[in-house]
Amino acid sequence: MIILIHKFGTTLISRPAGKEAYLAFQSSLSNLQDDETLIVDFDGVITLSPSWADEFLTPLFEQYHDRLKMINYSNASVTETLRMLHLLSEQL
Amino acid sequence: MLGVSIDTLRRWDRGGKLRAIRNGKTGHRYFADSDVQLYLKGPMIIARQWAFDDEVRSLDPRFHCRTRDIFQARLETLQNKLADSLGIELASLITAITGEIGNNSFDHNLGNWPDELGIFFSNTQNNEIVLADRGRGILLTLSRVDTSLKNHSDALIAAFSRQISGRPSEGRGNGLKFVRRVVTTRPINLVFQTGDAVVELNQHKTDIDVKIVSESIRGCYAVISY
Repeated sequence: MIILIHKFGTTLISRPAGKEAYLAFQSSLSNLQDDETLIVDFDGVITLSPSWADEFLTPLFEQYHDRLKMINYSNASVTETLRMLHLLSEQL
Repeated sequence: MLGVSIDTLRRWDRGGKLRAIRNGKTGHRYFADSDVQLYLKGPMIIARQWAFDDEVRSLDPRFHCRTRDIFQARLETLQNKLADSLGIELASLITAITGEIGNNSFDHNLGNWPDELGIFFSNTQNNEIVLADRGRGILLTLSRVDTSLKNHSDALIAAFSRQISGRPSEGRGNGLKFVRRVVTTRPINLVFQTGDAVVELNQHKTDIDVKIVSESIRGCYAVISY
């Protein structure tokens, strides 16, 4: 399953918005198969900050751990945020 | 009052530096007092007067983000301007740290604003972003979860160096650590004050070297330069 992050917005900076996005995505997650990888695609995101990511990505990581894969995270704020939250694969 | 000629005022109006209000019948230009004050004082002085005073002053609504939604909308506008002038990489990082500092004010004062809700947010023509709030400040916020913090300096150091949140149930708090990492690795300067403690961070000032100043603020005041 692929999560297109830009579908939640392109300037993702606040905790409430991150929490709301996480809750909104729960129904889609119920379709994830037991052995399926959850791909998080940051294509199209302009700004991401740790507050938003902490509410959306950290609980996903805690739930799916090595089944979570990040792609298209070359945007500077996305890379720095993922590093700060220790969510890049080389940090896991 | 402004010490410039009428031609200069006309030029500023055309160029957007100081917009006039036109009288339809006569075509005369009128300038709003708030615009003239902004030109004379600049956003930094207006922010300081609003945030540092004991008594609440009214704040020009163009600078006052009473809610997070207003801040988000204005920050996105600034982000687009920054992307045009600086490129997407630096624009995304400046937007991210501005968002972290501004949203910190909302996160940590929600339901507890001492008087005026919301934050001051503006940018200057000299590539500076100014944020300020009349909130509770970092010491009062963090001392709820760490009683060892005795003064504003301790609180400022903790906020920029430790994973600490004033909201116990979260157990997170990466915001100002993220800000520090970004400003110390990119051509960005940050001055941040809470209480009587001020820190300046940039590529050459990576340590949290807190200065104690005489003019204290209950909430927070930040200037990001790029």
